[in-house]
Amino acid sequence: MGLAQNIVFGLVTGSYIAIAAIGFTLIYGIVDMINFAYGEYLTIGAFVGFLAAGLLPLPAAVLVAMVGGGVVSLALAWLFFTPINETGPVPMLLTSIGLGLVLRNVIRIFAGGSARYYDTTTETFRTQGIPEVPVGSFDLVGDVYVTSEHLVVVGCAVAVFLVIHGLLTRTDVGIAMRAMGDSEDLARVRGIDTQFIRNSVWILAGVLAGLAGVLVGIQTNVNVTTGYAHILQILAAAILGGAGSPYGAIAGAYVIGIVVALSTAFLPSHMTGLSSAMAFVVLVAVLLVKPSGIAGAEVREA
Amino acid sequence: MSVADRLPEGDAERAALLGLGLIAFALAFAASPLTAIIPTGLSVFFEVGVLFVVYGILVLGLDLQYGHTGLVNFGHVVFFAVGGYTVAILAAQNSFSGTSLGYPWPLALVAGVITAGVVGAIVGATSLRLRDDFLAIATLAAAEIFHSVTVNVQGIFGGSTGILSIPRPIRTAAGDYDTMMIVTLVLFSGLTALTYAGLTRLTDAPYGRVLRAIRADELVTRSVGKSVFTYKMQAFVYGAALAGFAGGIFALYNGALSPEFFTIQVTVTVWIGMLLGGASNHRAVLGGLAVIMGLRLFSRFANDAVPVTATEFASLRLIAIGMILVLVIRYRPAGIWGDPDELGVDS
Amino acid sequence: MTLLDVDGLEKEFGGLLAIDDLSLSVDRGELVGVMGPNGAGKSTLFNCISGVVEPTAGTVAFDGEDVTGEQPEVLARRGLVRTFQHTRQLDTMTVRENVRLAAPNQPGERTVPALTRSQGMQETERRVVERADELIEAFELDHLADEYASNLSGGQRKLLELARVLMLDPDLLLLDEPFAGVNPTLTNEIADRIRELNDEGMTVVVIEHELETLTALVDRLVVLTQGSVLVDGDPETVLDDERVVEAYLGE
Repeated sequence: MGLAQNIVFGLVTGSYIAIAAIGFTLIYGIVDMINFAYGEYLTIGAFVGFLAAGLLPLPAAVLVAMVGGGVVSLALAWLFFTPINETGPVPMLLTSIGLGLVLRNVIRIFAGGSARYYDTTTETFRTQGIPEVPVGSFDLVGDVYVTSEHLVVVGCAVAVFLVIHGLLTRTDVGIAMRAMGDSEDLARVRGIDTQFIRNSVWILAGVLAGLAGVLVGIQTNVNVTTGYAHILQILAAAILGGAGSPYGAIAGAYVIGIVVALSTAFLPSHMTGLSSAMAFVVLVAVLLVKPSGIAGAEVREA
Repeated sequence: MSVADRLPEGDAERAALLGLGLIAFALAFAASPLTAIIPTGLSVFFEVGVLFVVYGILVLGLDLQYGHTGLVNFGHVVFFAVGGYTVAILAAQNSFSGTSLGYPWPLALVAGVITAGVVGAIVGATSLRLRDDFLAIATLAAAEIFHSVTVNVQGIFGGSTGILSIPRPIRTAAGDYDTMMIVTLVLFSGLTALTYAGLTRLTDAPYGRVLRAIRADELVTRSVGKSVFTYKMQAFVYGAALAGFAGGIFALYNGALSPEFFTIQVTVTVWIGMLLGGASNHRAVLGGLAVIMGLRLFSRFANDAVPVTATEFASLRLIAIGMILVLVIRYRPAGIWGDPDELGVDS
Repeated sequence: MTLLDVDGLEKEFGGLLAIDDLSLSVDRGELVGVMGPNGAGKSTLFNCISGVVEPTAGTVAFDGEDVTGEQPEVLARRGLVRTFQHTRQLDTMTVRENVRLAAPNQPGERTVPALTRSQGMQETERRVVERADELIEAFELDHLADEYASNLSGGQRKLLELARVLMLDPDLLLLDEPFAGVNPTLTNEIADRIRELNDEGMTVVVIEHELETLTALVDRLVVLTQGSVLVDGDPETVLDDERVVEAYLGE
């Protein structure tokens, strides 16, 4: 398998990580917390979508998952996070860790440990005749294939990026979000209802998580750990991109996706499990070298 | 602690005496030809008990880092793992999987502590300048990286099987399982008591004053002439070394190690124990840990009584633990026995 | 005898020049006031001198030695000590602990002496406790000695801070808005103490917005505006200066 194929995989992974990372980073920038339960929002989205797919055509099921994600996110925020808004980033992080634990296990009790699969028909598109360009034991290029699922994931991601960009630049809510992300005090002074914007961010992040969860589910499968398995990659992408910056998160996500995919290619076969650890290595490296990340957002260092 | 004018004598000294006493008793008992029998059904108390005192060393080290100095270390299990695996790899003889070098276990234990301390120094040197929540993430990532390495680098760490055939000096000395369990529990309790004594001694001294000042406000502490970064490093390394020691003695008790003993669950358990009991109070954090471990014990019994599968029960227990963390932070951030003024929280 | 010499200091924050070619020198024994409208750069100046931020250009010399960019803890140990405006300080410690903390050269602050409780460590701690109690009494905080700093009023916190920094026996004391948020009676008390300290030989530089108290207190007044020195001289002359009035009105 040529490296080009790995890059294709990396782009696909990067796509759904990017969707989730946007939501995650908005929560960080505007609600000022690292939400460690965010992985579970993806899992919930994946399950809701799966259940809905049993009754509705897939596109409708995806919408249901997105709406479900938004509602759940807002509800959880209202119950657990908004009341402790003033306590600071560490108590909120710890609360999200506890909440994540609770959600994972509630899901496990109701859903059991087995994996579910979306019922999709896959079409595969292959290229033909591309030269392999071997370098050492690797083929640089070679024929690549993409599945229809890959295309759906990437397509959704691009659509999300455009919608988010439009939201942040053209709508009142979006502009208010950016203002709050820059400086909450200034935003309040300008008359922005900060709690309303926070609630909007929770809903938006939940919607994005729901979508990302369904996409991961379609790509792989749906099980209890679907979201949790990706939380560190999402976190890495957000921080790499510059915590708080949605555009940075997109860039960060693709970097992470490609790093993970390439490390799968380069690692000896019995150590491929280490490839997901690569995301954490990137994360640690970013934190140490340039915590403000690619977009150089307003991260405060100690 | 903050009210007494003189340096308080007593607490640390009593703990030290207790610790030495327990250790002496355990060693004597092991060496003697006497044996003991644990009534059936009660062995689970001993198993959980041993785990409790081992985790106790972990929570005390974490309390030094977070309760006293304010360092949010969410990867504490990595030092536990590094210490454990170092001892395992050095001391195990002809393990089926992974590397085993067959060195004498005392040497291995010392090496385990030092290695954990060194890893603590590396993590500390690189991460301690980060803001609180980023430090939490960096330490958590370090733990996940090490976990992934132990699972995947099978040649050295033995993958999911781990390292086997680690020597069990207590087992060898005691002869039978029951005696070994009693000796282990008493001996490890003694070690935990000594740890408590040493840390209390340290934190009751002006050293502890500097740590608490760092937790309160780093800049002000620097402005009165204290080298804050040095203290943060020390607290971090001491905590790491203690965790490594705990890992080492755990390896020598269990005889085998695998990645499943070193998951984020350990970090979460220890954190919840610390917060539930009341951070920065050594006795309180042990108490909080006891409550959490008690829950674990209770669930083992309850599981037999209730018609629910084991995995579902485990999930229920984890839900309870997660909720405890959430509720403690919201409604009682100083914990059961903690002092809200000391921790700067509303109660 | 120049104790503090600031030369050509510059500090840039993301495109904004907070300090712009600022030069200032303070002799031993002086009692200098620093004033200026909001944004003039007063706090930034203190931050540059005391090592909290590193200047983009220029030098800071203390007692003849170049200390530009040195760490705050190093400067404090050398005798250059500052206080802070913010009162969110060592709130989770009692008044006693706050003051005892600041004592320099405590063996008990190192691991081994702390664990062994050596003779030297116990001796020093006894002396620290004594000296701290003295200062607490001198500042009339003894009835609050075992209270957590968070329970103190604004004015009491300022007194606590003064007691704390005095444990260090500074050569140069930088006071950042010592009268902010303090009632008039206490303000006068604090001003009296500052004058006392100066009479006893301590060099003091004070930033303040409370102009009446400041100008009555100090021997020399420096006015900052837009990051550099506008006027530097004795209080009366400075206050009469047209430019100073303009600088304040124009804010």
